Amino acid sequence: MSSSLAWRILTHDKGRTALAVAGVLLAILLVFVQLGFFIAVPRGGMLLYDRTKFDLLVASTAYEYQVQPGEFPLGQLDRARAAPEVELAAPLYFGSGKWRSGEDGKAPDVFVIGLDPRYPIFASEDINRQLAAFDQTDTVLVDSMTRPMFGPLTTGRVVDIDGDKVKIGGDYVLGTGFMGLGVILVSAENFVRLFPYRQPSQVNLGLIRLKPGIDRDGAAASLRKLLGSDVRIFTRPELEAHETAYWTTRTSVGLLFGSGLIVSFIVGVMIVYQILATQISRQLPQFATLKAVGYGDRFLSGTVIIMALLIVLAGFFPALTAALGIYAVIREETLLPVEMSATRIAAVFAATLGMAAASAVLSMSSLRRADPADLFG
Amino acid sequence: MSAPSNLARERRSAGLVPLAWRNLLANKPRLLRSSGGIGFAVLLMMMQLGFENAFFNASLEIIRLLDGDIFLQRGSKYRFATKDPFPFRDLEAARAVPGVASAWPLYADWHHLFWRNPADGKDFLVRVFAFDPGQSVLSLPELSANLSALRNLDTAIVDRRGRRFLGMDPPPPAAELNGSKIKIIGSFALGPDFENDGTVVVGDRTFARLLPGPRGGTPDVELGVIKLIPGGDPTTVQQAITAAVPTEIAVLTKAQLLELERKFQADVSSAGPIFVMGTLVGFIVGMLISYQIIYTDLADQQPQYATMKAMGYRTRYLVQVVLEQATLSALAGWVPASLIAIVLFHIVGEMALLPLHMTVQLALVSLLLTLGMCLISAVLAVRRVISADPAEVF
Repeated sequence: MSSSLAWRILTHDKGRTALAVAGVLLAILLVFVQLGFFIAVPRGGMLLYDRTKFDLLVASTAYEYQVQPGEFPLGQLDRARAAPEVELAAPLYFGSGKWRSGEDGKAPDVFVIGLDPRYPIFASEDINRQLAAFDQTDTVLVDSMTRPMFGPLTTGRVVDIDGDKVKIGGDYVLGTGFMGLGVILVSAENFVRLFPYRQPSQVNLGLIRLKPGIDRDGAAASLRKLLGSDVRIFTRPELEAHETAYWTTRTSVGLLFGSGLIVSFIVGVMIVYQILATQISRQLPQFATLKAVGYGDRFLSGTVIIMALLIVLAGFFPALTAALGIYAVIREETLLPVEMSATRIAAVFAATLGMAAASAVLSMSSLRRADPADLFG
Repeated sequence: MSAPSNLARERRSAGLVPLAWRNLLANKPRLLRSSGGIGFAVLLMMMQLGFENAFFNASLEIIRLLDGDIFLQRGSKYRFATKDPFPFRDLEAARAVPGVASAWPLYADWHHLFWRNPADGKDFLVRVFAFDPGQSVLSLPELSANLSALRNLDTAIVDRRGRRFLGMDPPPPAAELNGSKIKIIGSFALGPDFENDGTVVVGDRTFARLLPGPRGGTPDVELGVIKLIPGGDPTTVQQAITAAVPTEIAVLTKAQLLELERKFQADVSSAGPIFVMGTLVGFIVGMLISYQIIYTDLADQQPQYATMKAMGYRTRYLVQVVLEQATLSALAGWVPASLIAIVLFHIVGEMALLPLHMTVQLALVSLLLTLGMCLISAVLAVRRVISADPAEVF
């Protein structure tokens, strides 16, 4: 009964309702956009992990975050590889060099990932295929997201990294995230050639893939026992929690986007409240009449809550569609992996319902003012 | 009735602002609601603009603090916070140029020196600056006071405003840099930026010991800080220095150095587009809120406007009242939003240790944006008044 009244009020003046829905749509879109930024940062930091296939990560106890991982002995990975649960244990080396072949004579810093080409660690089969042809000396693969200031990334171009001449053997699509302005992949042998002071026996990270059907937490526990306390072992969820905590609490980024998110939510509540209060004040004589003919406050409150829900629901789905478009623009502009996920949709949906509830409660007070006697004032 | 006398009557009877003003104040709860709605949208824009300012200022702050007129750096250096040093002899060559009063080296590193927090023994990457303790090249008064003690090997001055996990506030008596023990002889307040958590200043000899130069000698110079003899023509001296040093050395004024950094941040980092988009969304949302407010208001008062029309007031006058009222609503939202923003900037700025401030420029830009969004929505909503038909009142 409440619902059919709410529906009739909303469909009575379609122009006004359309305006209200548009307002709510923008409020929800605002929350989506701010949330996108808030999450883009840790996701940008997780890029390499998100696009490689592994179950456990082995790192030094000095591990801070992906770009500052510390070092540990390669021997630990060999020991892990011998464990019965382990299918693959691949080392990763990270370094940073001066790309002395940039535009305008500039020398941007390039993030260098060294790896063992025998292990197809990437989620993209295209990269794994390219790794197979990696045995040439001083050949590198360039991330296609590498900034224009690095100059042309054409295959065959010879560039200077820290005084060494290397040849671009091709490009791949992974994304640079927060690793740097440009990222290249090299074989471990070429890595050591580029950075002569680096020992191949000291690696930065180890990616471990378990045999099918092996319980990850159990394998992590037994590997921790096997490798001892000199290294840290992260499962995927642990790694995600660690990186997210790093980006949201250790850097100022989390605070900035977090406060942006909170303000956007408040603005959202204000808009929905504004719209709802307007709707109610316009219907005040009608509500008062209903009261006069015997409908209780509960019925009227129910009507208001349902009106709020209907408006918000009508705004949510177009907002979601628009957010997908805006995320695509942000991805394009910032090169950060701003992606829509089911949990994010659910979170914003929950926030939206919260907005509707908060503004319905706020506008109840004007409903209580609906005095039948006023009708004959 | 002639047109001029009609206008005069309008002014006499209703005045210019008073009607809009009275309209605004007629319904206090509505005023509260509208200034709340517009205010929060404005606050959202202010925060985005403030964050953008903070982002750029944090990385420009250290360049502003450099105490010099002309700067030498390697031409391939694309931003300040990257190690790309040049040989000391090039700075010597610049020093010999007529018009140069002094030329001092700044040594720096961003990616190779780890500070061990003595409180918990954890290592963190820090930004390290070094110079000859005879002459500070950074205008930080607290640094100059401690210069003589910086002459001793393995001494350092730390940034109290560095991130808390570094344990620099209050400065500990001693700590470690890359495993060597360092005595902390003082502190200054600078603050982190988006990439550096904290700053340590050491003497040039200590720096050379921590990060020896190529072939184990003195380290190369990150930035040459040159002061000119007062009264000379800076452009002439800049040209003379450019001629005296190898072509791979860039000779820049402070403005050029700042511009290089600003351009890098604007072109390459993701922050610019993010905050611009945030501001834009705030603007659109604000426009919608104010449209909603003005439209509702006009709808409610349509009989009054129609009555005024019937009495002979012209549409132009009524439109003017609506625009005035929109301007007043804009101000009613902007003023509280600015006050809240000042408080919020202070709180977030202290928590994030970023230079978040309400500047005059920020206040003006946000005021213009606020007026813009309210006036645009007033123009969109005003058709209601124009179409107000006196006959409908009855």
